[in-house]
Amino acid sequence: MSDTLWGLPAPQIDADLGEAAVTMRLDPTLYPLEVIYAAAYPFIARCWVVLDRDDAGRVSVVLTAKQAATAEQLRALVGEFANELLSSACRREITRQNRALIESVTTQAFGGAMGPPSLEELEAFDFTDEPFDDPLGIAQSWEDKYRKKPRDEGEGEGAP
Amino acid sequence: MRLQFHRALYAGSAIDQALQRFAALAHFDRSENATHFVVELRGLVDADGDATRRERRARRIGHALANLALGLTIERGGPDR
Amino acid sequence: MTEPATPLQTHGYPAFFRHRELGERVVVTSLEGEWIVLERDEFRAFVGGTVDRGSALHQRLVARNLVREQFDVRRAAQTLQRRKRFLHAGPNLHLVVVTLRCNETCVYCHASRADLDAVHTDMTPQTAEKVVDLILRTTSPHVTIEFQGGEPLVNFPVVRHIVEYALQRNRGLGKQLEFTMVSNLALMDEAKLAWLLEHRVQICTSIDGPPDLHDRQRKLPQASAHAAAVPWIRRINQAYAEAGLDPTLYHVEALLTTTRETLQRWREVVDHYVELGCRALFLRPVDPFGFAERTRRVVEYPRSEYLAYYRQAVDYMIELNRGGVEILERYAAIFLTKILRGDDPNFLDIRSPGGAGIGQLAYDHDGSIYSSDEGRMLGAMGDRTFLLGNVATAGYRDIVGHPTIRAMAIASNLDGQPDCVSCPYLPYCGTQPEHNHKTLGTMMGRMRESSMCAVHKGIQDYLFDKLGTADRETLDVLERWTTIRPREHFLQPPSG
Repeated sequence: MSDTLWGLPAPQIDADLGEAAVTMRLDPTLYPLEVIYAAAYPFIARCWVVLDRDDAGRVSVVLTAKQAATAEQLRALVGEFANELLSSACRREITRQNRALIESVTTQAFGGAMGPPSLEELEAFDFTDEPFDDPLGIAQSWEDKYRKKPRDEGEGEGAP
Repeated sequence: MRLQFHRALYAGSAIDQALQRFAALAHFDRSENATHFVVELRGLVDADGDATRRERRARRIGHALANLALGLTIERGGPDR
Repeated sequence: MTEPATPLQTHGYPAFFRHRELGERVVVTSLEGEWIVLERDEFRAFVGGTVDRGSALHQRLVARNLVREQFDVRRAAQTLQRRKRFLHAGPNLHLVVVTLRCNETCVYCHASRADLDAVHTDMTPQTAEKVVDLILRTTSPHVTIEFQGGEPLVNFPVVRHIVEYALQRNRGLGKQLEFTMVSNLALMDEAKLAWLLEHRVQICTSIDGPPDLHDRQRKLPQASAHAAAVPWIRRINQAYAEAGLDPTLYHVEALLTTTRETLQRWREVVDHYVELGCRALFLRPVDPFGFAERTRRVVEYPRSEYLAYYRQAVDYMIELNRGGVEILERYAAIFLTKILRGDDPNFLDIRSPGGAGIGQLAYDHDGSIYSSDEGRMLGAMGDRTFLLGNVATAGYRDIVGHPTIRAMAIASNLDGQPDCVSCPYLPYCGTQPEHNHKTLGTMMGRMRESSMCAVHKGIQDYLFDKLGTADRETLDVLERWTTIRPREHFLQPPSG
């Protein structure tokens, strides 16, 4: 059942008061997926959140209150989500523009605060872990990379 | 109860992980079509209580599963590549 | 008839700036925090690039490094470096909750306290040692250990143990060590005081105003909390004087929590602090941590009312200073130090990025480690977002480099924050992820809806209005508030 939340644009927003749910349809050219994710994430703690996409590529966000909610409460929920969307979109753009500054400050902050590892930390470090994905085998030694595989090794497996 | 997760919005691996977490509470079938991952909640592990109560629990589990799948997808940075 | 819009012509005159209108004037600040307050026609000339190069205005703008053609890059870089020098060291403030037990019940504090029989909320000596071991791993050469509660005097043996153990462990490490205790003083006695004085532990207390106001907000069973604290404030101040310490520098620091009832009584509060011999008053608004929704309705207030209270109280404090009384407002002093001195006093809640984890840590009685005391209070209310680990198992680098701390550092970097990036107060300001999380649902928050932003912006509006319009005598008072005189007596003597 579709209800109208007074004051909110009907083509983009549906409400189902019986289910305490609202659906917002978002244009991904205005709100890219990472912006929708950023806005949706904190709402997971407060609502049930489901995303979907229609044939036109619009992303719908369904927020369902965890308890019964009045139309007023649902309207507030939509308003807060819309604010968070706008804020996330804005933050994404600002972060892109100020990336060098933010990364430099963050690197200095953690470099300064963490300092070098202690001897105990180095001893406790598990060097057997794969440090990072290395699909091109850059971190492998020449011998490891080009040595002949035994016949019984499975196809697609790399060097040990 | 049937849940659909769009493949362009959810990570299949996140859905699998969420299903594992909820396996102790309900029985699920997972499939997929061209556009969606589909999760069918077949029944509850603990089938106590009347039908209304079971229905309510199943819905709650479905909602919580969807939340977890979304949260894990976002933490992975989006759908599997 | 309206004129057709034309593109803004700056003629390349202004360097990067941000601005904000303040009545008839405009505050202009630069990337690195240089500032000027301009009349509107001066601002138009500045933006439009029509300032006469031989004018006094041009000279003022050049002096503030706001003119592109004479922009001094080296000076800007040095200023930025000075403002951000706190980045190069780890947590210097370590809050240790030695017990949750408290003899007082305060209207604004529930989650942070337990009744006196809750002995299981006392920190054990073993946990205390692990706390100290972790604290002394910090990369910061300065370390302040602040005892909090609950009421720390309830678990005084562990306070003593921490001080003695930290002094012993610091031998060879050579960190500049300070200890501070925040106490309601009701359980103080001469023996404890003698020990605290001998070990140079700075003592702070809470005073919420005159006796009736203080006692309504801070309840001591069958006694007056105010009457229990004030004689000790006088006694401690007297002891400092007897030790030959300068009373303008060495006295009990008191902390105020502004509740709804405080708002109307600003004059009495200021007078009371002066009468107690305090030289600083921190007009802190009540924070959203640690009390129930029902209590919030009683003690909370709109931030516009708080700002009216702030302006009246600080106007009155300036007036007192002009009459020879020394009393400063702490918020004003923090912001003015940044504005007038181009320095950062490293107040951890007002800096960018914020101090959570990289400037401070809080340790609960059971050894749990949080990003800050606010993070700990949220933990006590059941929200463990800011829990980082436990001293029993966690390493220093695990804590400081914790994903939560990384997220908080990015969330509290104002250069990534909508609104802040266009606010002229960015070089002096800060946001607190715990506050944003609690009040707005995300660590980043949304500044237009943030009560903390409203307070910071309102206070800086007030200060820039003063800086733009006040007479010399008032400006001298504000300048004096930025004078930082280190309390070297409280630094532990260097050892081995």
